[in-house]
Amino acid sequence: MVSPVLLLAVPLGLALCVPLVGKVSRRAAGFVPVIATLLNLVLSIRLLPTVLEEPIVANLGGFPPPFAITLFAGPVGMLLSALIALAGLVVSLYALSYIKTGPTVRYHTLYMLLLVGATGVVLTGDVFNLFVFFEILCISSYALVAYVGDRAGIEASVKYLIQGALGSALLLIGIGLLYGLFGTLNMADIAARMGSADPVPVFVAMALIVVGLGVEAAIFPLNAWLPDAHSSAPSSISAILSGIAIQVGLYAVVRMVFTVFGASSMLLFFVFMGLLTLLIGELCAFAQSNIKRMLAYSSIGQIGLIIFAVAIATTDSVTGGLFQMVSHTLGKALLFLAVGYMVYRSGSMEISSLEGMGRRMPLTSFAFTIGAFSLVGLPPFVGFPSKLLIVRSALVGQEVLLQVLIGLVLLATVVEGAYFFRVIQAVYFKKGEGQEARQDAPPMALFSMFVFVVLIVVIGVYPNLITDVLESGASELLERANYIGSVLG
Amino acid sequence: MSFLHDYVYYIGAFGLVAIGLLIILVKRNLIKLIIGLSILDTGVNMFLISVGYINRGTAPIFSRPGLEPDGMVDPVPQALVLTAIVIGVAILALALALAVRFYKSYGTLDLRKAKELRW
Repeated sequence: MVSPVLLLAVPLGLALCVPLVGKVSRRAAGFVPVIATLLNLVLSIRLLPTVLEEPIVANLGGFPPPFAITLFAGPVGMLLSALIALAGLVVSLYALSYIKTGPTVRYHTLYMLLLVGATGVVLTGDVFNLFVFFEILCISSYALVAYVGDRAGIEASVKYLIQGALGSALLLIGIGLLYGLFGTLNMADIAARMGSADPVPVFVAMALIVVGLGVEAAIFPLNAWLPDAHSSAPSSISAILSGIAIQVGLYAVVRMVFTVFGASSMLLFFVFMGLLTLLIGELCAFAQSNIKRMLAYSSIGQIGLIIFAVAIATTDSVTGGLFQMVSHTLGKALLFLAVGYMVYRSGSMEISSLEGMGRRMPLTSFAFTIGAFSLVGLPPFVGFPSKLLIVRSALVGQEVLLQVLIGLVLLATVVEGAYFFRVIQAVYFKKGEGQEARQDAPPMALFSMFVFVVLIVVIGVYPNLITDVLESGASELLERANYIGSVLG
Repeated sequence: MSFLHDYVYYIGAFGLVAIGLLIILVKRNLIKLIIGLSILDTGVNMFLISVGYINRGTAPIFSRPGLEPDGMVDPVPQALVLTAIVIGVAILALALALAVRFYKSYGTLDLRKAKELRW
């Protein structure tokens, strides 16, 4: 049996090999992330059937838990690690043609470190190890946001760094409090002792940890950095930040609240925070005239929807929330990849400059349209079954409050539809000023976009392909006792 | 006085955290902000160390006879702080590199002058 440690060790080793490969050939350096993510994808998919039966617990250094750093590869961890590897693979293919200028070797190194950090966060079973991987993820994304080196990129990166560093300091204080209270860093061990602890310090620790992680997860009052960072980064990085980084932050919040703290009394608060994040994100997105900022705000909205769904905390709703994570990664990454070349060809990020793109770049525009339809939730794309599941799970309990709130969620979806259709209208039904010759994105970029298009359609038509994984993921998150039992034995 | 005696390290740690937070919230010069972040980090590290500290404790090494495990400080937070210091240095280095780039493109370190991005 393969150990989940390989999912971290191999890409980390390869990431540090990138500069060496770059010394030989700058072009070859771009292929290292492709190889590493492909390997991770194959490994994750091979491990998935095993972890569906029983989660794999790997103890580093061979000490029994709670003394060693534990890697916990359950259904959620494997699903997300497969998703990270998939998005990482497609985006690294895209970057082969998209990232041409600047220090490309460093780009590929940082890009791989970002993916290692993300994979580490979803696999770890130790709170301090979570912090370390989280910092690897954050530091490489601060640097990548400023990759282009223009004024907007540097300003966005500075904002992101200050807010992110503040968040990590709070997270570390929270972890220190947890260690002081329980004398252990193992998530399962902390969870097992949670019942006997004094509630006030536990609440303080939870507040600090949720706020610290919430900065990266872009939960509403903590998300001021996101639109700047996501719109100023190179589009391949925006795709990873929107599709992977914030969802990894969200996963960390969910893991902490559900498994470690088991804070079922706080869930209503998270339902409202999710709804607020959703409404504010979608309304701000509607007001944007810059296409990448619009997509960034739309990511905030989608994160809000996922928080809303997960915080309802029934099996169906958590399944829906995880499904929405998958569909958001596929849809938003596709949108950023398509927009990357549209912006590159038109030379401006204004939505009005995209007029007539339907004729100039037909295949890219088609990919953009599929991504937008999927995010809005039109059948037969992947966004439809995920949103349907969330709406159904909120209505099935017959609670009046949830029925009212789900109305607001649907309203936000209407707003989302409105701004996406506005862009699609500009792309297809308005004539651009200077009619230029047809010039689509390069073949490698088109290929990577169409990988996402195919996945969006296939999973949209056959959602049963992944519902098994999602359902066992939901029960992993909801049943703390099983988690504790499988780690501590 | 016993309160002060027991909690002096926590008071010091959270004092540093408060100073760091105040600098970050009030100052608008990028270098001062980075100094604030650094002080904040130091405070957090000191808090972690004080979690594992016992008054008059020794290092957790059986270096001479007669040492009992009861009188030793907890080594785990110290290992954590080593890691946290390294992470802090990485953030500091990146922040300073960004400050250089910021100065080159804006000609100032005043964050209020940076107005490329708006809501």
